[in-house]
Amino acid sequence: MAATPSLALYAAPGRRYRRPPSLPGVLMLAPAVVFLLAAFVWPVLNMVMLSVSQQVVDGATVDGWTLANYARLFSSDLYLRILLRTLRIATLTSLASVVLAYPLALAITRGGPGLARIVTITVVAPLLVNVVVRAYGWTAILSRNGALNQTLKMLGLADNPPQLLYTEWAVLIACVHVYLPFMVMPLATAIGRIDRSVEEAARIAGASRWNVFLRVVFPLSLPGLSVGISLVFSLSAAAYVTPQILGGNFSPLLGTLIEQQIVSLSDWPFGAAIACLLIAMVLAINLFFLKLVNRRLAHWTTGTR
Amino acid sequence: MNDSVHPVLKIVVALILLVIVAPLVVPIMMAVSDTPNIVFPPKGFTLRWFGKVLTNPEAQASFGFSLQLAAVVTAASLLVGVPAAAALVRYRVPGRGAVLALVLSPLVVPLIVTGVALLQVFSMLGTHATFVQLAVAHTVVCLPYVVRAVTASFMLADRSLEDAASVLGAPPLQVMRRVVWPQVRPGVLAGAVFAFIVSFDDYPISMWLADGDHFPIPLYLHALIERSFDPSIAAISSLMIFFALMLVLVIEKVFGISIARLAT
Repeated sequence: MAATPSLALYAAPGRRYRRPPSLPGVLMLAPAVVFLLAAFVWPVLNMVMLSVSQQVVDGATVDGWTLANYARLFSSDLYLRILLRTLRIATLTSLASVVLAYPLALAITRGGPGLARIVTITVVAPLLVNVVVRAYGWTAILSRNGALNQTLKMLGLADNPPQLLYTEWAVLIACVHVYLPFMVMPLATAIGRIDRSVEEAARIAGASRWNVFLRVVFPLSLPGLSVGISLVFSLSAAAYVTPQILGGNFSPLLGTLIEQQIVSLSDWPFGAAIACLLIAMVLAINLFFLKLVNRRLAHWTTGTR
Repeated sequence: MNDSVHPVLKIVVALILLVIVAPLVVPIMMAVSDTPNIVFPPKGFTLRWFGKVLTNPEAQASFGFSLQLAAVVTAASLLVGVPAAAALVRYRVPGRGAVLALVLSPLVVPLIVTGVALLQVFSMLGTHATFVQLAVAHTVVCLPYVVRAVTASFMLADRSLEDAASVLGAPPLQVMRRVVWPQVRPGVLAGAVFAFIVSFDDYPISMWLADGDHFPIPLYLHALIERSFDPSIAAISSLMIFFALMLVLVIEKVFGISIARLAT
């Protein structure tokens, strides 16, 4: 491997050792690049093409450049409702995750090694449990005679509690459960990087715990929060299994709509257009938060506010 | 500064952890219920639902298929990903940034979209080799995990040790085996573990490409939820939960990899 003797490296410390592109390097990289171009980039571009080059009219596929597939998504009440529901669930999942993630992230970073380990394991271990099983666990809790309602009845808190299963609430609860780890870990990383002496200084200067959190920890944790929100929003907007199992056919999201259009109705161009919209949503939210971190939050976190 | 976690915060954290654990505990409770239907609270105690699931040939076939698929995908991801990661860190390659973005991009595009895009291409090509299709599709999304983990360990590896070994006359292969490998082994192992888990648990890609003879366990579980009402579904869920807990132990204790890295 050590093909080039790198004594020159030591002659000029700190400066990059300039070499022509190395042939072994290119050869080692080639399989990955070729594979991803063929099995990822091409299929995705192909789908983008499909969404603007064909449309299905009265069951027959018509060729020709068109934006009809996209227009259809916004012109029908049914599709618009599904789009809005998807945005709503993704937004609420992100918000709820933020609220739940702060206590957990604080426990991980400020709670001593024992507590930190218990919280980390409990938060992350469910990621290894198959998502179908986690969704099933929630159906067992939220169904009409499920664990939640039975417990409420036993405690005498409710006589005939409504069923949460197959409502948007069920989808929301399960989505938060599934995607919460992706909020907690980046947040814990960001909080872990905060200089403890800043907090101590604030405490000594007389700030209450709440004020220390609000004025010191929270602003300094915003980069981690942005990463968490982009991850949770992207993942929940594109969720398929969880909404399918907990929402039934009553609250489909965009993922279910893609599946219906392609599998049940064989409307490939429309399905492709919905898939492209999903990619656009995910890219938009990621770029937005990336920019936010780079521009607005940079001077907050470097302390020149 | 252990007192910096307020008691109220501790209670809140405990409650949240309880809710996180609840959907994993309830199925286990229901799985031992000695009733023909799923009920809560469970009545009686029996292990017959576990017996029923464990001896079910469909469940066995599905589980076996998923293990096989995940093993092939892990091997393929390592074969393609480890050299790529080494090249990205150690060699001067053209368009380094672009290549890195390309390798990590399957993490950004929603899995359900990657799956449907591949289904379309496969049907255009007219291939019917389901196993190959599934393996290719899973490798696309497992590769980034391998490259990420292995690049990280290559960046941590001390290059001067290699130079020292070479200068002292060790042949390249021996430098590889005795100096480079021990340093990057944790990264390769972590990449392999993550690739295996991602493939084994995948639903949104498999749902497009699987067929009756190639039916990964997540799809089987979903089908079972929709058609069965006895506690055997709770039993198979419990088995999957035990399997995951075992994985956590193996990964953390045997391999020494922090599973927290899965969520970042």
